[in-house]
Amino acid sequence: MEGFVQAIEGTAINQWVLGSQWAWPIMEILHFMGLSMLLGSLLIIDLRMAGFFRKIDVGATHKMLPWVFIGFGINMTTGILFVMGDPARYTANIGFWWKMALVVVAGLNALWFWWKINPVMKTWEPHADTPALAKVIAWVSLGSWFGVLLLGRLIPYIGTG
Amino acid sequence: MFEWLELTPVALWVGESLYGYPFMLGLHAVGLAIVVGIFAMRDMRLLGQFSGISYESIDGLRKLAWTGFAINAISGCFLFSSQATTFVVSTPFLLKIGMIFLAAVCAAIIQHRMHADAAKWDESGTAAVGSVRALAFVSLVLWMGAIISGRLVAYL
Repeated sequence: MEGFVQAIEGTAINQWVLGSQWAWPIMEILHFMGLSMLLGSLLIIDLRMAGFFRKIDVGATHKMLPWVFIGFGINMTTGILFVMGDPARYTANIGFWWKMALVVVAGLNALWFWWKINPVMKTWEPHADTPALAKVIAWVSLGSWFGVLLLGRLIPYIGTG
Repeated sequence: MFEWLELTPVALWVGESLYGYPFMLGLHAVGLAIVVGIFAMRDMRLLGQFSGISYESIDGLRKLAWTGFAINAISGCFLFSSQATTFVVSTPFLLKIGMIFLAAVCAAIIQHRMHADAAKWDESGTAAVGSVRALAFVSLVLWMGAIISGRLVAYL
């Protein structure tokens, strides 16, 4: 990790993030907007996939998927810039690593959805209950993303491992 | 009065205990994701996105959104108590509270209008009426403004 930190410190991006008075707060604002988009759209998609809010057409919730990717894209970009700006702080923080592990869990869970649920979703009744596996995947998604949110917010308060 | 508030046992617990402040901050992030996330999706639906999701069905998420609002009103009061004298003179904080108040008024009017007319828009397949669309746009701007000013409380 020390090699990683040394490789980043002094780079142009590192210097820009550290040197500009407004870079950090603007990135934080974008990160908060991104999380609202990501979690807002996922809440609706996943709660419906878990069998709640059956008035909502389950297939139509996927029209919100672009906002999942937009929110994730904003937060991945700003997130990488945070780490580039202050690599020593993040790599030494156990909360950051737990957060990244949960992002990986959420990603694998999304692949599981893509593999097992997405192909059969078209056959679902728009307002019916959902299969057990879909419910499991929905709850893993919500659990991991809200875990990511909490760990992210608490990074400043979690020890350095 | 704000000095007194900062010295109450609750405020001291939030401000000085090991877990008080992070616990309230964590709740505040969860509530933010719920209230801003759900209301933003509803606003975008009103602005013409996600056709196929009926207006009536997305209006059914209002209780969940207000639950997020309540989580943040409560955790926000705890967080405020610990630094009341600082927050009460902070321009971004006062702006944030003003925008949240206006956004809540917007949400109340929007759901009142949706309760009356959403089924009609769904049935006829038409877009929401212009005044409701305008409110949805204002609501989005206010929530984004609340996030911007809320973050700037820590910097200005």
